[in-house]
Amino acid sequence: MAELLRTAGLSKRFRGLIANDAIDFALQSGEVRCVIGPNGAGKTTFISMISGHQTPSAGRIFFRGRDVTGSSVTARAQMGIARKFQTPSVFDRLSLHANLELASLGKRSTAAERQTRITEVLDITRLAPFRHLPASVLSHGQRQWLEVGMLLANRAELLLLDEPTAGMTAEETHATALLIRRLADAHHLSVIIIEHDIAFIRDLKAPVTVLHLGRVLMSDSFDAVAENEQVRSVYLGQG
Amino acid sequence: MTRSIVARPGAANAGLLRSETAVAVVVFFALALLPGVASGYVVYIVPQYLLYGMLAMSLALLWGFGGILSFGQAAFFALGAYAMGLAQHWDMAVNPAYVALLISIAVGGALAGVVGYFLFSAGVRDVYFVLVTLALSIMTEQITISQSDITGGYNGMFIPRMSLTFGDASLDLSDDVPMYYTILPLTIGIYALLRWVLASRFGKVLIGIRENEDRVLSLGFRTPLYKTAAFAISGAIAGLAGALYGTHASFVSPSLAGVLFSTQVVVWVAIGGRESLLGSLLGAVGVAALSNYLTAITPEYWQLVLGIVFVLVIMAFRGGVAGALGGLTAPRRPETESG
Repeated sequence: MAELLRTAGLSKRFRGLIANDAIDFALQSGEVRCVIGPNGAGKTTFISMISGHQTPSAGRIFFRGRDVTGSSVTARAQMGIARKFQTPSVFDRLSLHANLELASLGKRSTAAERQTRITEVLDITRLAPFRHLPASVLSHGQRQWLEVGMLLANRAELLLLDEPTAGMTAEETHATALLIRRLADAHHLSVIIIEHDIAFIRDLKAPVTVLHLGRVLMSDSFDAVAENEQVRSVYLGQG
Repeated sequence: MTRSIVARPGAANAGLLRSETAVAVVVFFALALLPGVASGYVVYIVPQYLLYGMLAMSLALLWGFGGILSFGQAAFFALGAYAMGLAQHWDMAVNPAYVALLISIAVGGALAGVVGYFLFSAGVRDVYFVLVTLALSIMTEQITISQSDITGGYNGMFIPRMSLTFGDASLDLSDDVPMYYTILPLTIGIYALLRWVLASRFGKVLIGIRENEDRVLSLGFRTPLYKTAAFAISGAIAGLAGALYGTHASFVSPSLAGVLFSTQVVVWVAIGGRESLLGSLLGAVGVAALSNYLTAITPEYWQLVLGIVFVLVIMAFRGGVAGALGGLTAPRRPETESG
């Protein structure tokens, strides 16, 4: 597996507050990684810097070995870095098909290729029955899947998912874990997920990186992280 | 309050676009037959309303489909009219009126393009953009007043009706019927052009920007460029409509660039339905005809009556008349959430 993403000494300060403090992070191509940590650990700041929505105070970001630290959101999206926002961000009044079509127009392709892609994405996300309805009629969970689907239609290679299961039912949460697993295993996508939901993280069977006060506390398998005393104390508020 | 004006009305417009084509064919067909059945004044005045409609469509593209409200459409319209007025003094081998039409398109497009590029690249949005376009109208009005050597200042400028020339052949548009049959096809042409623009990749991205600009940006589209292009197209069409208006009305004065006229354009589009090109066109024709009628019967209160109509229409259906009609044909949302 080749290295897809690497950050070196990535830091972000908001006035006096240090949100991210010299984060060194690496993600292989096709890898799923969970980023967890208590509130204020700097998780959203971290992926905002990777997506380009926030400018780092220090450090570098490399995507496929290329320094993208100074690239715009648009340029990174064109390279294949795609961000799913914390609250569903879809085109509510447009049909699901139109949502996906718009996303698919981001990269050069023929109409036939786009149509194939859209059909494929509707199948992967299990949203095909609703293709002609406006996105506003979908449930919260389905809207989250639609947004993930838009990133697929956009031919993203690295998905940055910020709490994709927030507000979902247990059933939807489980389905989301399976969806992400499918994307990585069958479609070779790389995914970074910020999550709080322990059941979801367990379902994903993915390595976990724990952030605490803007620093990487540890990176290991779910089981190792779950048994770590330091991580437990951080989550119980004694850290 | 501002948010609701700038952002979004209610009904989804997929069904609206489908049923709109049939209505458009009927309307344009009826308009084509009108000079056969109507009297002199109607044939004189309808082309003017159609040019207002062209101006309204230029705003509908920007506001209804791009979510960008502009109070600057009158500025481009007035610049086009003045370009046509100045053309009467040009001595050139080709028809100077043709050159004026091209210049009005170029000036409207270029001015909107330059202003739009700097504003949109700097992230100017919503009400701040509205304010700048309002300033654009006021500036244009002031310049036409102050540069009285060129523009005639408050007195305005008389403009002869243009002639259509084809090689050696020439058709004078002083008569209202040839003028009518010049402006109607151009109006239909602009309508068709804008429908084509909206159906294109560009149009889809523009609608996406209206719905959720941050999402479109994060999908890798350089949204400031799309917004700039939409504003430039809008300015170019407003300029063309203005040039034709100048030669049709045979007169142009600074009030054509003013805030009042700019506001009227917004009212036409809001009443007609900003998410429908045809609705905006007919909104302009209908409201302009109503204003004209009201000035005749109640010169003191016509603006008040019009204001009340505006408030009632917007209270009853925020998507304008076309939005309300489109809501009848659009697919219903299920009563309960599925899934």
